[in-house]
Amino acid sequence: MKEYTVIGQRVPRIDGREKVMGQAKYAADYSLPGMLFCKVARLPVAHARILNIDTSKAERLPGVKAVVTAKDFNGWTWGFMANTRDEPPLAMDKVRYYMEAVAGVAAIDEDIAEEACDLIKVDYEELPAVFDPEEAIQEGAPVVHDYRPNNVSVEYHWNFGDVEKAFAESHLVREDRFRTSRATKGYLEPPASLAWYDPAGSITVWAAKQSPYFHYRHLAACFGLPLSKIRVIQPFIGGGFGGTKNDSVAGDFCAVLLSRMTGKPVKFIYTQEEELTVSKRRHSMIVYNKMGMSKDGLITAIQSRVIADGGGYTAVSPLTMYLTGCCTPLPYRLPNYKYDCYRAFTNNPICAAMRGHGVTHTRFACEIQMEMMAEELGIDPVEIRMRNAIDNPKPGEIYRTINDMTLKTCGIKEAIQTLVRDPLWAQKDEAPKQDGSVSYGVGMSATSYLGGARQLGHQSCAATVRICEDGTVNLITGATDCGQGSDTVLAMIAAEELGVRYQDIDFKMVDSAYTPVDPGSYGSRVTVLAGQAVQTAAADAKKQLLDILGREWKVNPGEIEIKNAEVYHKSNPSRRIPFDKLAKIACYSGSGAVIIGKGYSGYGIEPLGFENGRGNAGTSFSFTAQTTRAGVDMETGHVTISDFVIAHDCGRPLNPIGAESQNEGGAVQGMGQAIYEDFIMDRGKTLNPTFLDYKMPRSTDVPNIKVIDIITDDPDGPFGAKEASEGSHVSAPPSVVAAIHDATGIWFKEQPVTAEKIVKGLKEKGKWPR
Amino acid sequence: MSQFYRRLPRLQYFLPKTLDEALSFLKEHKAAARLFAGGTDLVPQLKKRETDIPLYLVDLKGIQGLDAITYDEVAGLKIGPLATISAIATCPFVQDHYPSLFQAASSMASPQVRNRGTFAGNICSAVPSADSAPALLALEASVRLLGRKGEREVPIGQFFTGPRKTVLEADEMLLEIGVPSPKPGSRGVYLKLSPRHSMDLAIVGVAAVGTCEDGMCKDIKIALGAVAPTPIRVPAAEATLEGKRVTPGIIEEASQKAASQCSPIDDHRASQEYRRDMVYILARRALNRVLVQ
Repeated sequence: MKEYTVIGQRVPRIDGREKVMGQAKYAADYSLPGMLFCKVARLPVAHARILNIDTSKAERLPGVKAVVTAKDFNGWTWGFMANTRDEPPLAMDKVRYYMEAVAGVAAIDEDIAEEACDLIKVDYEELPAVFDPEEAIQEGAPVVHDYRPNNVSVEYHWNFGDVEKAFAESHLVREDRFRTSRATKGYLEPPASLAWYDPAGSITVWAAKQSPYFHYRHLAACFGLPLSKIRVIQPFIGGGFGGTKNDSVAGDFCAVLLSRMTGKPVKFIYTQEEELTVSKRRHSMIVYNKMGMSKDGLITAIQSRVIADGGGYTAVSPLTMYLTGCCTPLPYRLPNYKYDCYRAFTNNPICAAMRGHGVTHTRFACEIQMEMMAEELGIDPVEIRMRNAIDNPKPGEIYRTINDMTLKTCGIKEAIQTLVRDPLWAQKDEAPKQDGSVSYGVGMSATSYLGGARQLGHQSCAATVRICEDGTVNLITGATDCGQGSDTVLAMIAAEELGVRYQDIDFKMVDSAYTPVDPGSYGSRVTVLAGQAVQTAAADAKKQLLDILGREWKVNPGEIEIKNAEVYHKSNPSRRIPFDKLAKIACYSGSGAVIIGKGYSGYGIEPLGFENGRGNAGTSFSFTAQTTRAGVDMETGHVTISDFVIAHDCGRPLNPIGAESQNEGGAVQGMGQAIYEDFIMDRGKTLNPTFLDYKMPRSTDVPNIKVIDIITDDPDGPFGAKEASEGSHVSAPPSVVAAIHDATGIWFKEQPVTAEKIVKGLKEKGKWPR
Repeated sequence: MSQFYRRLPRLQYFLPKTLDEALSFLKEHKAAARLFAGGTDLVPQLKKRETDIPLYLVDLKGIQGLDAITYDEVAGLKIGPLATISAIATCPFVQDHYPSLFQAASSMASPQVRNRGTFAGNICSAVPSADSAPALLALEASVRLLGRKGEREVPIGQFFTGPRKTVLEADEMLLEIGVPSPKPGSRGVYLKLSPRHSMDLAIVGVAAVGTCEDGMCKDIKIALGAVAPTPIRVPAAEATLEGKRVTPGIIEEASQKAASQCSPIDDHRASQEYRRDMVYILARRALNRVLVQ
């Protein structure tokens, strides 16, 4: 195996010091002289026709500088696909969800802007509304968008093999209804931006965006400007997790337009309550799952009918519904598969991407259903998984799923076997099962997630590696670190490939005026694809350096190596110079010599088969097996999760600290979804838009977590890497629910499995004492 | 139009140096002035515009001596209006003599809120789920109120009149919480049920304080939080036990009575049924802890 000097080291985060010292600046921290504050006015009704908006009182309030409504955007709308551009910056004819934005105000301070919002008078006619996705797609339901009179915003019907025949020939067939919760990301930094519309005709924004180049295109389209006039400067980002920070929000468009109108910079910051009320959240999905098995537990077919609550607009959901379907043939062999999905428009807040995008819903259903069937057949949870799990392809070979996804590496069997040997599972029968009113259980799951996701349009990542004359390096990419640690990993990749030290690399954050265009931070793609671009760019810079030194030393450049910032002749290692000397020689080697390495990811723009579900949704796939130990108070239903063991095949962890923390974070977020988190809704209104009542796990709820790396060295990843974090987000809920089952004897099919649901379940089984 | 959390409304801030100054200010401005101690409840309410916006905030933190906590065997425990929740949770008298109060104080909110928020403020806010209230009810505490008409003492059981409502007049302030000395051999407990392990609101809170001698229940006080418009005592459950031999059956009966005597609501935090069920479970646990060795 190749020896690495930087890759695999436990290095501190490149941005750690600034963040810990409180010096890192986020969008809300930026200000400019003369800056105005923007607040967004919203209508507290879920479905209504707007008859008139009177802003005159607000405009007369001293300190108010401008007010915008939908008409100021000239009918422009945006969306993920050409035929789904259904979302206006501000509501035009109708509001389709509670607190949808109707106007934006710019004032000299936040108090006045808030007061002005109160003075905006909207005349409206309340319309019949629909909140349940299954009701929404019935005939006669209130119509949310005229262009989709059946309220079906996205539907796919895929069919691989012959499920009917397979079910008919199966020894056991089971049908169940599962439901996932209305979860949200829970980042600490709500949407914010400082916008400046230069009177000369260009836009500059400092915006909290995990994918700044989405926003760059949105602004160019909305304001009719060429891309060369749009400058998105990315500050530090306080968490992303998909959805809202990939997209633009009402405040973004209003702040830019208000800046154009007033000639002043304009800043907005959503409150956390505003974020939790209106921002994009995870879809709640109802999964009708049907699975067939042979007598010895081999899965013969899966049929999933999925109904998703989409909320008021389409957003990124064509991809959501794709991902919800496409990964079902992983991590187990699946010969027959049928997928029918309906994403319903409702008058709930918009649903979009979130960590574990799409896959978490169907994998939860399949994992639990498979265990239920194994139980019926008397097959143990490990055995059922091992019998069905996909083998790791031999080097050079490819495993192809029934829907044409291709795997070059698959560590799922090794991951399961690793967990079987780990004490949590191996000694589970020796650990106490009961202590007072608390029953204990251990559960397992095995899952997969894609890395290097793609969607429509531009897919490539690019990087430049610029060598400074003192041997330090500027790394310039279009990639954004929204907290996952990718800046650190990209710097490590550049250092490893170039042969310098990690601390020699300086990472430049996105500034669309100078950095290369990049799709963004979603679908676990940054390390995999931006990483590939960085590796190529560093190799290019290294080649240029070695060519120059080869001429200088009169040797073949291939005979020179750079390692740990030392440059030496391979067969005569005593002939050596420090890297800074080489940099100086190279930069001064001729008039105007500039060493800039360029690279881009090799991944092209092949279209995904949205209509037939065929093709790779990512470049590679991670595999995760997880065990959980839970204690359930059989009287109160209160769950205490004491342990997680996560065996994760991310190909190769480049920064082990980063990979561990991503696995931990993903699993804890998945645990929240499994037992605590849900938006409680009342006719489209979110009743718990605060972190007091939207219950994410606190640090005192977090179990002991052990992460075990399964090394498979994927040939398509930089230094063998695949994804880390979304995998454990997907593996946590089924593993937690299996542990609760082991403790209570009950299979819970609806997330979150709250204490109250557990007591209800125990009562139904006659296992509750009152 | 939209009513999210906002910045604080514009207010006049007044920092009296003496109790007299504070009281005469209250007398002059009545409902236009609001007392401000820890602010952990008031500030979010103001930001949310959930309460009438006063013209004045009267900050009590400039007055010396209001944070005292004293104890003696005759007079019992006296808690000043500025004593923080942390001060109660770490006070040796409280830990030694009033375990239910200690458990209530240490289960409240987060360390930051406990350091800032006052115990008296938690009472004056009169939120039905306040953790401090069931313990004080079971301990038969009383509050001393001082106002325009002079001083009065109100048993804690008569202090709360509804959610966020108390008998406090606009020009009155809570001067002291008094808790009688524990009876010899008495024991107490506060049990809180919340979805998460810390920093969470009570779905149900149950306090019990009582004495058991030679297997006989000499006295018992049971109080519930978060299951009625105010924190409540459950006299029928207490009567079931008082003077009786303590058996699993009688504890069962008393717990059932506690569950049937409360009137919880259905809301986004829990259903009525679950809350009632949990009163039964927690009451049973509390009574076993207090009356059974």
